[in-house]
Amino acid sequence: MILFDNVSKLYPTQNQPALDSLTMEVEKGEFVFLVGPSGSGKSTFLRLTLKEERPTAGRIRVAGKDLHRLSNWKVPHLRRRIGTVFQDFRLLPNKTVFENVAFALQVIGKPRRQINRDVPAVLELVGLDGKEDRLPDQLSGGEQQRVAVARAFVNRPLILLADEPTGNLDPGTSVGIMKLLDRINRTGTTVVMATHDQSIVDQMRKRVIELEHGKLVRDQSRGVYGYTR
Amino acid sequence: MRVQYVLSEIATGLRRNLTMTIALVIVVAISIAMFGTGLLVRSQAETTKGYWYDRIEISVFMCNEYSTGAGCADGAVTDAQRDTIRQTLEAHPEVDEVFYENQEQAFERFREQFDDSDVENIITPDQLPESFRVALQDPEEYDGVVSAVSGLPGVQEVTDQRQLLEPLFQTLDGVQVSAFAITLIQVIAAVLLIGNTIRLAAFSRRRETGIMRLVGASNFYIQLPFILEAAIAGLLGSLFGVVALFFGVELVVGRFIAPNLQFTSWVDSGDVWAAVPWLLLAGVLISVVASFVTLRRYLRV
Repeated sequence: MILFDNVSKLYPTQNQPALDSLTMEVEKGEFVFLVGPSGSGKSTFLRLTLKEERPTAGRIRVAGKDLHRLSNWKVPHLRRRIGTVFQDFRLLPNKTVFENVAFALQVIGKPRRQINRDVPAVLELVGLDGKEDRLPDQLSGGEQQRVAVARAFVNRPLILLADEPTGNLDPGTSVGIMKLLDRINRTGTTVVMATHDQSIVDQMRKRVIELEHGKLVRDQSRGVYGYTR
Repeated sequence: MRVQYVLSEIATGLRRNLTMTIALVIVVAISIAMFGTGLLVRSQAETTKGYWYDRIEISVFMCNEYSTGAGCADGAVTDAQRDTIRQTLEAHPEVDEVFYENQEQAFERFREQFDDSDVENIITPDQLPESFRVALQDPEEYDGVVSAVSGLPGVQEVTDQRQLLEPLFQTLDGVQVSAFAITLIQVIAAVLLIGNTIRLAAFSRRRETGIMRLVGASNFYIQLPFILEAAIAGLLGSLFGVVALFFGVELVVGRFIAPNLQFTSWVDSGDVWAAVPWLLLAGVLISVVASFVTLRRYLRV
């Protein structure tokens, strides 16, 4: 589903490469934790997968597409197959819960009928039914992140990328979000989650990929956050 | 859903950058008014040239018995000299037609021109020169004809009307060039302003556009509201410019120039109407192209 083949990324303003000859593969339907200290290349990995950045060297395949050969005008179609969730939720403050999720379908030109069918369904999946008309600032942090997950998942993507989705949440709320991501993973969606949250990684016992200075230092199925230290 | 979304985005954008939008509308209006002025001056120059070129002729005045000057040393023109002049003119490739006017006809014309005065009591036909009136194939090519006959014996003077009109044409050309120069400067200012306005609009909506990019909205769909926003401002500016042009033509040409200077036909609101589609198109096109180029830089995939 995601294949990195000897991928390096050097940002023009930096001396150290953000990714250094990284080779790894994520299979369809897997749940993968991406761990490592800040600056180890986790975010760069996610940005490369979305083709927000181009690798300096190496090849990347995502959802069967060779990103190097993918022309710019086809990038939006790639992103429609990838849902994305961030630490800071990135909701539109002047839109309601329903509108925030519907926005993702509107802007890719989905018909109103489909929006009215899919948005309530996904809101029920994330446990927000009954809160459709709230504005983001009337919700708790956990609920806001559920809206973001709903928006990422409403178009039934093949891949869900999560960049520290529990970073702003307390441990109890985080567990709720993780259960949600697990449920999404069980529908067949590949989930890649970059995180610093040790207890979550240790509890979930999923595949763990650890990066350090842009290099892969550990790839362990049913792993924990950091048994090496 | 799509149309509704696009329309509401445009309205929000135009409101949010109200001062910039107003500046944009004004600059586009001035550009379009100047551009229109340039077009009108050009069509005026064409009309005037056409009007006069049909009438332009070279007059070859021949000596009478009172004439002085190099060609008239032998007194009045002789029949042989007159025939030589006529043959020279008729043989010249640039000459279209030659009319002969004798002293009696010259006197008749003279009398018509000064109808009210009592010149006919002072001037007699034999004081006036007989002449050939020469119509040219191409009004621009008068030099050769003039030099071919001006040295001949019996020729007192060769005049061509083009020389009289030359200053008028030069003035019209000058006005036209300066109007287009001002247009060019204004268009540059308009393009920069549009770029800036659109950049501000894109910046103030970066949260929305960021999410749109993320969920896979196409570039076209992301950029459309911004481009339409610029197009609407451009259209509004062009409309104001066109209105200003109508007022300008009505006040300056209609009330002042046309009634006082009747030697040619002048542009009127009909000519402005003919230019309106081009002016509106130009205004919208400038805005769309400028915003498109800006967005390529600031809303990259």
